Amino acid sequence: MVELAVGVIAAALVVAAWEGAARSGMIAPQFLPSPSRVLTALWTMLTQQNLIWHVAVSTARVWVAFLLAAALAIPIGIVMSSYRIVGAALEPMIDFIRYLPVPALVPLSIIWFGVGEETKVFLLWLGTFFQLVLLVADDMRRVPQEFVEVARTVGANSRQVMTDVALRSMGPTLIDNLRITLGWCWTYLIIAEIVAADSGIGYVIWTARRFVKTPEVMAGVVVIGLIGLVTDQLLRLLHRRLFRYL
Amino acid sequence: MSAYVQFADTAKSFGPIEVVRKTSLGLDRNSLVVFLGPSGCGKTTLMRMVGGLDQPSTGSILLGGEKVVRPDRRRGMVFQSYSSFPWLTVERNIAFGMRYRNDITAAEKAERTRHYLELFGLADFAGSFPNRISGGMRQRVAIARTLAAGSDVLLMDEPFGALDALTRERLQVELRQIQIREEKTIIFVTHDVEEAVFLADRIVLFSRRPATVVADIDVAAELGPQRPLEIRETQKFFELRNRVLHLIRHETGAVV
Repeated sequence: MVELAVGVIAAALVVAAWEGAARSGMIAPQFLPSPSRVLTALWTMLTQQNLIWHVAVSTARVWVAFLLAAALAIPIGIVMSSYRIVGAALEPMIDFIRYLPVPALVPLSIIWFGVGEETKVFLLWLGTFFQLVLLVADDMRRVPQEFVEVARTVGANSRQVMTDVALRSMGPTLIDNLRITLGWCWTYLIIAEIVAADSGIGYVIWTARRFVKTPEVMAGVVVIGLIGLVTDQLLRLLHRRLFRYL
Repeated sequence: MSAYVQFADTAKSFGPIEVVRKTSLGLDRNSLVVFLGPSGCGKTTLMRMVGGLDQPSTGSILLGGEKVVRPDRRRGMVFQSYSSFPWLTVERNIAFGMRYRNDITAAEKAERTRHYLELFGLADFAGSFPNRISGGMRQRVAIARTLAAGSDVLLMDEPFGALDALTRERLQVELRQIQIREEKTIIFVTHDVEEAVFLADRIVLFSRRPATVVADIDVAAELGPQRPLEIRETQKFFELRNRVLHLIRHETGAVV
């Protein structure tokens, strides 16, 4: 509770300082509009410019990409750490690809997938999958050998060791890593939604930028931040509920 | 009486490193045998081979005349590190030992779980998670789970190594009593001479790596089967402990 209060007070202080700086006239409003102007812009976007629809579209894109990444990264990561030969074969390639900046792959993804939804989801997936797969492999490696051996000596077969012990043991760190990589997925949203998009928060921000509507740009950024904050808190709550024993 | 656990010319190497030199040894059923030797001498490897967790490079290990080829619930392991599953309560950790048994009913499993909760003084903590109980209790949970699994042979790898002196002493007494009451065969690995003498029916002393048997001491013949705590203060115990220490110094050239 104290931590929450400290967090709220710190955020309020930053907003107050921002409002003060903007109102002092030291910085031109097209560079730094005041929080009140950003709030007004946000209200207008919500009531007149269908912002909720754009938020829903972006959220759907992020979650589709993220779930696809998780669905592939979890089994591949587990196999990579369970079978040394698979790890040795895949890890160098994954290391190579995960260091490639996502914007550098935009032209290639347009060539491959065109300018539809596939490209947007692919770019978001790209930014998430290769990071997540290595994190999952590490989670799997950290499952204590004693847990596996105890299960084997009470008669568990390989599948049972995996489902009853390894996945349960790695559960807390896996959920943490999913929470972190979901955050990364959101950071690629703007890049994904400037590719011939006509919807999504990235599109809204990018369009507002063209007309130097800085309050709208900042309102879009604030919305992404708020979605991130809420998602993160919900996943933390889920973590606490699922892993009461920690 | 033929040996229940039989090492038949058993040897083990990891790559170029010879860990256990060809060893032949028989262990009686329902006895507590301590493998004693310097740290890293290969005694844990010998025990893991009995558990089926490692395979001998040459020779074999027989349990009741049957070759050990893989782990199964007849040989349960208790490790030095706390191997209770943190996501299961004490009760469920113990019941986990029977999770894959199809030969007993759910009611029997519940009954056995209750029995071991009582036997190990864990009934009041049945619903607690392992991180809410002491290290000594966690080791009790691990032993109870192995017994609940129906293991004939308990393989204990320095299970009390991480505990404070008092808890360790109490668990040693309990282990000895439970071994007699439940009629189990226990292979107990330690490098603590006092612990070895207090617990063992028999001490098998190993050399430095590669492990070979350098002495085989019949402790039960000298101290008898019952081991009250006070036995540690008797002349017989002191003499035996000193003899084992002397053997270790001279036969293994090691300080344990």
